[in-house]
Amino acid sequence: MPERALERICYVEDDEDIQRIVRMSLERVGKMTVEVVSDPNQALGVMARFKPDLVMLDWMMPGMDGPTLFRKMKLEPQTAALPVVFITAKATQRDMEELIALGAAATISKPFSPKDLPDQLRAIWAKLP
Amino acid sequence: MSNLANGIHSVARGASDAAAVRERADPAVVRADRVEQLYSQLPLGLAATVVIGVIAAVELHEGRLIELLVVWGGLLAAVVILHGLLYRSYRKDAQRTENAEHWLRRLGIGAFAAGAVWGFAAAVFFPSHADERQVFLAFLLAGVISGGIPMYAASWPIFAAYGAAIALPFTYVLATFGNRLFAEIALLIPLFYGASVAIAYRLNGVFLSGYRLRHAYQRSLVELDEAGRQIEASGRKLALFAERSPIAVFELDGEAMLREVNQAAEILFGYAADELVGRSVKRLVLTKDHADFDREWQRLMASRQPATGVKVRNLRRDGLTVVCEWTVTPLVNSAGKLISVIAQGRDVTAQLEAERMKKEFTSTLSHELRTPLTSIIGSLQLVNAGVLGDVPKDVMDLLEVAERNSQRLLDLINDILDIEKIDSGKLTLNPEVLSVDDLVHEAMVLNKGFGDRFKVRFQSQGELVRRQVNADRKRLLQVMTNLLSNAAKFSPEGEAVQITTEERGAWLRVAVHDRGPGIPEAFRARVFGRFSQADSTTSRYKGGTGLGLAICKRLVEMMQGRIGFEDRDGGGTTFWFELPAHA
Repeated sequence: MPERALERICYVEDDEDIQRIVRMSLERVGKMTVEVVSDPNQALGVMARFKPDLVMLDWMMPGMDGPTLFRKMKLEPQTAALPVVFITAKATQRDMEELIALGAAATISKPFSPKDLPDQLRAIWAKLP
Repeated sequence: MSNLANGIHSVARGASDAAAVRERADPAVVRADRVEQLYSQLPLGLAATVVIGVIAAVELHEGRLIELLVVWGGLLAAVVILHGLLYRSYRKDAQRTENAEHWLRRLGIGAFAAGAVWGFAAAVFFPSHADERQVFLAFLLAGVISGGIPMYAASWPIFAAYGAAIALPFTYVLATFGNRLFAEIALLIPLFYGASVAIAYRLNGVFLSGYRLRHAYQRSLVELDEAGRQIEASGRKLALFAERSPIAVFELDGEAMLREVNQAAEILFGYAADELVGRSVKRLVLTKDHADFDREWQRLMASRQPATGVKVRNLRRDGLTVVCEWTVTPLVNSAGKLISVIAQGRDVTAQLEAERMKKEFTSTLSHELRTPLTSIIGSLQLVNAGVLGDVPKDVMDLLEVAERNSQRLLDLINDILDIEKIDSGKLTLNPEVLSVDDLVHEAMVLNKGFGDRFKVRFQSQGELVRRQVNADRKRLLQVMTNLLSNAAKFSPEGEAVQITTEERGAWLRVAVHDRGPGIPEAFRARVFGRFSQADSTTSRYKGGTGLGLAICKRLVEMMQGRIGFEDRDGGGTTFWFELPAHA
């Protein structure tokens, strides 16, 4: 379990409505600091600058999908070690297992409850080595 | 078809093995034929007997024993007359084929009697006459014995009885005459007799074999005729099947050349039959698939096993490609030779397209509907949870309605996705060993909010502390949630829904008891069907997709369990499911 509390979240998501809900949930309910990235191509740069505790990735995004971005993160020294949680509407068991096999910390399926999202993330954070 | 096959089989066997054919002749019919043969020779035999008898009487009447000659003549006449009567009654018997055994016996007695009359002549007249007459008698008797051979050849035992009746007295007379020459002749007579019987026996065998062959042949002809008719009828039936069949039917040879095509095939591919027959079926296969086709065809020719569900991209005359599903059956005869290959196919292009669209639709449902719902439910939840501060009560009420109905829409989407996953075999379970009690309590906690909405409490009874099941936790909670929410929906306000756990042999039962209105008689059979709700107005004010119990049933069954319901004493319904207890 990491020694610090979970504070800084970077969320890569193309849907602006969901961005707003997640931002509101994490900032207002969870009292966390959130940096939202709409364009996955800029995500690596934002992460390097923002230095999040944890990254949330949407699976399906135009331009670059979540798993591809995740693989790129693994190649960059500044992002390789960041824990990643996938948020996905693709709900099949096989998809989930595939993500975990890639090295994702957890998956959260859409629709999620914004009321409970901060607690869910903290629970995932608590289980990290 | 089996009669036909038998017919062909027996005919083929007959042609290949004459000995076996003879065995097939009916013994009763063969016997009747032999008797007929014996009787048909009777008039000739009798005529010969009369002629020889008259000559003998003339030749011997000068002797001293004229009285004995009269007696002998009387006996011979009696034998001839009796034989004549025997012949007449045989001819008159309409059942003579069935009575053949009986007629054979009578003829045997008659033959013995005739032989005995000649034996009498030998015994009485030989000693009393002088040399010349003795020679005459000896020739006469030898002739009479020899003449019996063709007469009675169809039954050697009759000949043996006839011959013995003549030879025995004659031998005795010769042996006791007191003349050395005669004694030596007496020794030769049994040899002569034995040789005659042997000849008769051989002839009997030849006759018998001939009769048998004749009958077997006749029978085979009848069977061949019948088999021919059956083949013709089957052929017509088969032709009709193929002609009127709504699926395309091809008959091909071992080189994949078309021999025959039916009307459905003409319509499907747009070619007339005579444009296809005599050409390779590859003309109807997409060119770039030819190599695959050749490989599959070689495999089929090697295995000679029927293949079903073979999907082939076929080319129509108008250039369109259709996907057809084929059943291919090599026809092999009993000698292992390939006769032809029958291929039956139907166009599954539209079906495949429908399946693809269904899959695409499901995927769209999954992603495109869930994404906006995430925003709607998320927004409403944040407001309703008071994250944005207090909201006027009227607005709050409406927002709750909106959230509840969004949730309902989401439930429906999830249920449809579940059903689709179960149907397509994509739903995989993650079984783990679970405590039944823990599961029940977790389900109660999860559904407490739902119960509160309907002002219904959940109460548990019974303890299965140490009992466990091997099941998928998430899916079992889904089943519990369905049963609990149904019970809450249909219970009167203020009532309690009881949850009981119970051990039943090798099964653990979880039951949910409500005090609802019960299940109407007409609905009972459809409770676990899809989109089934007893009263379709219920879903409008209480929610529910009508898929929940259908999903529960499939899930429980996938976990090797069973699910059911029964009326509850005092009103209401009990829904239960049982899972095998984990050892």
